[in-house]
Amino acid sequence: MASVRLNPAPAEPNELPTLKRSFLISVALLSLASALLYWTVPGKRTDIPVIYWVTQDDENKRATVAAFHQWLADEHLPAVKLRIDNTNQEPTKKLVQGLSGVGSDIMDLYGYEADLFPATGMIQDVTEDAKRLGFSPAATYPALAPDFIINGRQFGFPRNAGVSLNWINRETFAKYHVPEPPMRWTMDEFEALGKKFVAAANPPGTRERIYFTNLVPREQLRRGLGLANYNETCTRCTLDDPRNVQILERVRRWTVEDHLIPSREEGEAMAADISGDGSMFSHFTSGRFAMIYVGQWALIILRPRGTFQLRAVEPAMDGFVNTDMGGGAVSVYAHSKHLEASIRFLQFLTSPHFNNLIARIADGLPPVPKYAETEEFLRPAAHPNEWGTAAVFAEEARTTGITMSKSPFVLQSILYRVEKELTETMVSGRMTAAEAAKAMGDRLNAEIQLRIDHDPALRKLYDQRVAIQRQIDARRAAGKPVPAAWINDPFHLAYYRAHGWLEKEAKP
Amino acid sequence: MSGLGKRGSPRRRLVSGIAFLLPNILGFAAFTLVPLVMSFGIAFTDWDTLRHNIFRHETLRFVGFENFSWLFHHPDFLHYLGNTFFLMLGLPFAIAGSLGAALLLTRVSHRPVARRGAFIFATLFLTGSGLLLRMGGMSQVGVWFIFGVLAAVSLVAGVLTGGSVYRTLFYLPNFTAGVATFVLWKKLYNPSGPINAALGPVLDGFASVVRSAPDLFSWGVPLACGVVAAALTLWQLWRLRQHWDDATAGPVSVVSGLLMLAVPVGLQLHWLGLSAVTAVGGPLGVVLIGAVLILKRPRRWGPVCARDAGLSAEIALALGLVPLLTLLAVGVTWGSRLPALAAVGLPAPNWLGDYDWAKPAIMIMGLWAAIGSNNMILYLAGLSNIPPELYEAADMDGASPLQRFWHITWPQLAPVTFFIGVMGVIYGLQGGFEMARVMTKGGPAGSTTTLSYFIYIEGFETGRLGYASAAAWVLFALVFILSLLNFRFGNRSAND
Repeated sequence: MASVRLNPAPAEPNELPTLKRSFLISVALLSLASALLYWTVPGKRTDIPVIYWVTQDDENKRATVAAFHQWLADEHLPAVKLRIDNTNQEPTKKLVQGLSGVGSDIMDLYGYEADLFPATGMIQDVTEDAKRLGFSPAATYPALAPDFIINGRQFGFPRNAGVSLNWINRETFAKYHVPEPPMRWTMDEFEALGKKFVAAANPPGTRERIYFTNLVPREQLRRGLGLANYNETCTRCTLDDPRNVQILERVRRWTVEDHLIPSREEGEAMAADISGDGSMFSHFTSGRFAMIYVGQWALIILRPRGTFQLRAVEPAMDGFVNTDMGGGAVSVYAHSKHLEASIRFLQFLTSPHFNNLIARIADGLPPVPKYAETEEFLRPAAHPNEWGTAAVFAEEARTTGITMSKSPFVLQSILYRVEKELTETMVSGRMTAAEAAKAMGDRLNAEIQLRIDHDPALRKLYDQRVAIQRQIDARRAAGKPVPAAWINDPFHLAYYRAHGWLEKEAKP
Repeated sequence: MSGLGKRGSPRRRLVSGIAFLLPNILGFAAFTLVPLVMSFGIAFTDWDTLRHNIFRHETLRFVGFENFSWLFHHPDFLHYLGNTFFLMLGLPFAIAGSLGAALLLTRVSHRPVARRGAFIFATLFLTGSGLLLRMGGMSQVGVWFIFGVLAAVSLVAGVLTGGSVYRTLFYLPNFTAGVATFVLWKKLYNPSGPINAALGPVLDGFASVVRSAPDLFSWGVPLACGVVAAALTLWQLWRLRQHWDDATAGPVSVVSGLLMLAVPVGLQLHWLGLSAVTAVGGPLGVVLIGAVLILKRPRRWGPVCARDAGLSAEIALALGLVPLLTLLAVGVTWGSRLPALAAVGLPAPNWLGDYDWAKPAIMIMGLWAAIGSNNMILYLAGLSNIPPELYEAADMDGASPLQRFWHITWPQLAPVTFFIGVMGVIYGLQGGFEMARVMTKGGPAGSTTTLSYFIYIEGFETGRLGYASAAAWVLFALVFILSLLNFRFGNRSAND
C-alpha cells in the first residue's frame, strides 16, 4: 500500500503543556503561600495562647495590653498573649464574623451592639464566671448594669464608665465676653445664654458660623420632662407623647432659628473640613463650638492638642435632672478558642493595674468606683487646667447617670435610625414636630408588633410584661407604689425612685 | 504537531478544559450561584440573624410572600424606591456627558485647530481646579505644585501625542477609587467649600441684579419659562402630528409622546396645590383629547407602519424633554418668588445637607464621573466605526454640523447608546450604596437612601435577612422588567 506522505502542519507553539505547567505552578505557589501564611499566624509560632481584642490600636490600648500581661504575671496566672485587632471594628464585620464562627476572642461593644450581639447568642454568658472571679455588677457603678446585664444574665464588663456632660472652653466664652453657664441650668437659660453667645460670636459678615454647642441630648431632655423612649416595661414606644413634641420644637428652634447648634447638614459640613472623628474636638479647641457634649474620655483627644481652660456642666434641662450614663463594655466571643483566658481579661478590668491606668490616661471613669477618688485622677499634676472636671464627672455618674432605655422588642439601631431620620425631617421643615413625634411612635410600635409576631419567645415575654404594665398603670392611677422589680426601663426606675413611687426596697 | 484542541483524546481534552475552568466555576458557584439560590429561598422565610444562626438553632419558618407583602407596606421602602428612580433621572445627562466628551476628544484628535483649543481648555481647566482646591483650604504650595506639574505635562504631552493624552486625562475619574472620589466630592460640596466659594459671588451679583429690577423678574421669569415651555409643547404636538401624517409614528408612539408632556403639567398642578385627582386626571384627559384629535387624522400614505413605530425616538426625546419641561414648570411656579429671595441674598446651596439639594448633588457628581467613564470609551469606539463616506456625502449635500450629528452620528451610535442605556439602568438601580454610606449615611432624612443601601441596613444592621432578600429580589425584578422594556423599545440598530 502506497503511503501518502502528508505535509506536516506548520509548527505551532506547544501551548497546552505550557498552560498546564503554568497552571500547576500557580496552584503550587498558592498552596505554598497559604501554608506559609498559616504557619506564620502568631498562634502557631508559640505555645502561649494568643487572644485577639477588637478595639482601636492606639497608645492607650497598647498600654492596656502591656498592663494585662503584667497583671497575669503578678497574679501568677498562665501566660496569654493579647493582640489588638483594629481591622475588624466595624459593627457589621464583627457581626458577620461572629455569626460565621470566626469572631475575635474579646470585643468592645458600643451602642446598639451591646443589645444586638448578645441577642444573637454570639456573646458568652459570663454570669457564673463573674461571680467566681469578682467582676459581677457589684464591682462597678450600679447604674451601669443595664449596659451589660440582659434578662438577669451578664454578658461583659465595662472597661470605663461615665456620663456625657457639656465641656466648656472657657477661653471661648471669655473671648466674646459672655458669662459661662452654671453647673445646673434650665432650657430657657440655655436658650437665653446661647442667643447671647451666638450674637456676640457671629457679627454680620461672619464667614464661618460659631455655635453654642455641638448638640443637645434629646433623650435626656425628654427624660427631664418625665418621658422615656418606652413605657415602664418597654412594651410600648412613648415618643408620640406631647412632651416629645415640646422637645422637638425646641430642637428645631435652636437649630433653624437661633443657630445655637448646627443642623445635620451644617455639622456634616464642619466635619468635612477636618477628616476623621476628631472634627468635633478641633472645632471645640478652635472656638467654633463654645461647648461640646461628650464624656470625660474627651481628655484623651484634648490633652495632646494643647492646654485649654476647661469646665464641665450638666446639659441644660427642665424638671428631672439626669445624664447619659454609659461604659465601653467588653465582651467575650462565645466560640473563642481560649475562653478562660478571654474571661480573665474581664477580671483584669477590675484590677488596680487597669483602673489606675484608666485614671491616669483619663479614658472616662475607671470601672471600679474607688479608683475615681484618687488624687491622681481628681487633680492630675500635669493638667491643672482640668482640675475640678474629674470630680464633676464622678459625682454625676453616682447621682444623675442613667443608662439608655432599651427594649428587647426593638433593636437600638432601629430606634436610632427612626428617631434621627424623623427629627431631621422635622428640622428641615418637611413635617411638624407633632407629626414627627406621632410617626416615631407609630413606626417603633409597628416594629415591636413585627418582632413579637415573628418570635414566639419574645411574644411570651411581651405578654408577660404587658400584663405587668397593666398592673403598674392601675397602681399609678390609684396613687399606689409599684414594686421596683416590675420596672424594666432604667429611667423609669430612677424616676419612680426619686418621686417615692416605688414600694419600699430592701437594702442591699 | 497541532496545537491546542488537536491533542489527545476528546475525553482527555475535556478533562483538561474542565480542570482549567474549575477554579473559576468553583468561585462562581461558591460566591455567586449558591448565594443567589439561597437568597431566593431566604426571601420566603423569616430568617433573622438574631434567631437563626450557629448559636441559636431556631426553626426557619416558611412565610410565603409575607416578606414581599410587608415590603410594600413599609413606610420607607417606597420612599427609597423613589429615591433610586429619582437618581436615575441623571442617566440621560450622564449619557449626554460621555457622548459630549467622546465627541470633543474625537475632534481633538482629528482637527489641529480643535487641538489647540483643547490645549487651552485643559490648561484653564487644570488651573481653575487648582484655584478651587486652594480656596477649599489645601496648602498653597502643594496645590500650585500639583497643578503646575499637571498643566505642564498635559500641554507638553498634548503637543507630542495629540488627543491620546486628553483621552487618558478624561478617563482618570474611572481609575479613581469610588470612596476616594466620594470623599473628594464631599469636601467640594462643603457649604464653605470651593464650589460654594465660586458660586457665592455669582449669586451675590445675580441677587443684586434681581433687586435692582424686582418687578421685571417677578413676572419676567415665570413668563419666559412659560413661553419656552409652551413653545416646546407646541413643537412636540406639531412633531407628533407630522410623524403621524407621514406614517413614521404609530398610535403607541403618539400616545407616549403626548404622555411625556403630561408629566410636567401634572407636577405643576400638584405644586399649585390642586388635588391628586386633578393633577393626574387633568393632564391625562388632555392627553386623551390630543390623542383622539391626532389619531383621527387621515394619513398621507395610509396605515403602513407598525403600532409602535417611532417609539424609541419618543423615548429618547422624553429623556431630554421631560426634565427640561419640569425645570421650566419650576420656573413658572416659583419664579415670581425670586425677588423676595434675592432681597435677603441668594445663599449657595447646602449641597449634601439640604433635603432638596442632596439628590441633585449626587446626580451632578454622577455626571462628572460619567464624562470620564467606560461609556466615553464606548462612544469613542462607536465614533471611530462610523463610515467616513457618510460624512463626506453629508458635506457634499451642504449639511450643517448639527444636521451631521442628528442625521449621521446619533443614529450610527444607536447600538452603543442602547448598550449604555441598558447598563446604566442596571447599575443605576443597583447603585448608590457606597455613595450613601460614605457621603451622606443615607440622609438627610433618608433623601439619599437607595434600595441597595436599604437592603444592606435591613440585612446587616437589623438582621432581617428574609426581608432584605425579598427587597433584593424586588430590585432584581425591577432591573429585569426595565431591561426587557429597553430591549423591546430601545433602538438597537444603526439602521433603525
